[in-house]
Amino acid sequence: MAPLIPQGIINPELTLFFALLLGIGFGYVLEQAGFSSAKKLAGVFYGYDFVVLRVFFTAGITAMTGILFFSYLGWLDMNFVFVNPTFLYSAILGGVIMGFGFIMGGYCPGTGIVAAVTGKTDAMVFVIGMFIGIFVFGHFYQSFESIYTGHFLGNIFVYDSLGMSRAWFALLLAVVAIMAFTITQMIEDRINKVSPEQIKTRPSYMLPSFLLVIALVVFLFLPEERRSNMREARPSELLAQVHDNEAYISTHRVILEIKNGRDELILIDTREQSEFERFTLPGAINIRADEILQRHWRPLFNQDHRQKVFFGNGNSSAMQAWFTAARAGYDNVYILNGGLNRMFSELFVDAEMPDTTAYNLQDRSNARFLYEARQFFLEGGLVDEQADRRQRIKAPEESEIIPVIGGC
Amino acid sequence: MSTIRNNYMNPYLAGFLLGMVLLASYMIAGRGLGASGAARSVVVTTVASAAPEYAEQSPFYAEYFAGVNPMGSWLVFLVIGVILGAFLSGAMANRMRFSVDRGPNIRVRTRMFFALGGGLLFGLGAQFGRGCTSGSALSGMAVLSTGGILTMMAIFGTGYLIAYFFRKLWT
Repeated sequence: MAPLIPQGIINPELTLFFALLLGIGFGYVLEQAGFSSAKKLAGVFYGYDFVVLRVFFTAGITAMTGILFFSYLGWLDMNFVFVNPTFLYSAILGGVIMGFGFIMGGYCPGTGIVAAVTGKTDAMVFVIGMFIGIFVFGHFYQSFESIYTGHFLGNIFVYDSLGMSRAWFALLLAVVAIMAFTITQMIEDRINKVSPEQIKTRPSYMLPSFLLVIALVVFLFLPEERRSNMREARPSELLAQVHDNEAYISTHRVILEIKNGRDELILIDTREQSEFERFTLPGAINIRADEILQRHWRPLFNQDHRQKVFFGNGNSSAMQAWFTAARAGYDNVYILNGGLNRMFSELFVDAEMPDTTAYNLQDRSNARFLYEARQFFLEGGLVDEQADRRQRIKAPEESEIIPVIGGC
Repeated sequence: MSTIRNNYMNPYLAGFLLGMVLLASYMIAGRGLGASGAARSVVVTTVASAAPEYAEQSPFYAEYFAGVNPMGSWLVFLVIGVILGAFLSGAMANRMRFSVDRGPNIRVRTRMFFALGGGLLFGLGAQFGRGCTSGSALSGMAVLSTGGILTMMAIFGTGYLIAYFFRKLWT
């Protein structure tokens, strides 16, 4: 169901309207919380005011718990949700630089904007500084690029990184947050010398904390996520797909993709590791059928827009992998029809460019395609410019159209 | 001063409301909140239109030349909303006045110098972190992204590690 805009339930043309609306809520709450004061914000580092910690963690835990339950109930499809990608060292370096910025400037970008709006001149200067900082990044982008785009680990989840279940991590985070709220309140009271009478007049947070922990403990004992059950495909449908050849992708298509160096296919070698190490297709990764459902492959298979192609020597190991993946609800998965054996027999049986005049247009372009692919694979992709030009002169313009899906 | 201090919202209630805004953002658009992204769009648009020869040389400005209008983005409209929301709240609570927020023991000029430097570092760091405290740390925590939580820990961890050396600024 949700997210509503990416799923087409709300007209995408209204995207910016909702951005504006949510922004108003965001700005309003930040100002109401007292985030327009750098002194208040910096208090979190000196113990005299922990408002940042309270607002920040309460917001994080609230949203996290909501997302947890909504995705469990199938109301929020996490495949459509942007999960911040993890570029390991860039994420840490950025955080460290921002830590310095926070202590020196007293604001972060969001609160700086809020404070500037309410008339804090230091915040206006902070925002100008921000623009300069971004410009500096752009100016030295080429020197930063290797760290900025390096060590990409995917759009991974912290509970997977820690090897915990999602439910356990959520509960742990909530308990840590509640403990932090209690301890920091005690620190703050001591530093500000608050009298015991004043402390007694404070509202008690026992009930909401208790409810949160209960909710997350309940989540811990809920059966396996419903989403996968709901999406699990029926065997009869899968068999029909195989029968109607919908599950297959042609060798031509795969050769074309490899030759063009495009990134639309994910090639998955389903053979044993020893075979994979001896030879595989360029860019392929090795996942055996019995490894398909391992949790760490989930982000790979969740890239719905890319076609995942299983291949083995023939069809059988790829077919097993395909059934496992399709049954688990992974979309856009295919079997390389005939596997590597068929691909090679097509590629290497006759190495001569056939007499093209004898064929019709379709056959001719097929033959030419195979001829070029053969060259590519035999010569390791190094096509000398001269040969390339000669080919182009020989081949008529219209045969440039290569049948993308054919042969099966 | 004391009247102003007391009429802020209860921080846990504010946090809960902010969490609901964040959750609504995920339910409606499938993405979180952010602030520094809009600043990046402003920089990209300004520099690329003022000095196109300079900008063309850097992949940082590529989105501008790819025909995408960076100013028509989700994050820009979000921040326009933030400006309106902050104005609304500040005006209603009678907190709109020109002032310089600083620790008790530093001069205005010192404060301005550090505010500029802090802003510069935050702008730079938010590029590496692919978002600031809102876009990377808070939104990353909501979806439990490893990168977002690492960035959050790095921001606050660094803050506590170096707080002692900057104590004159705030206490």
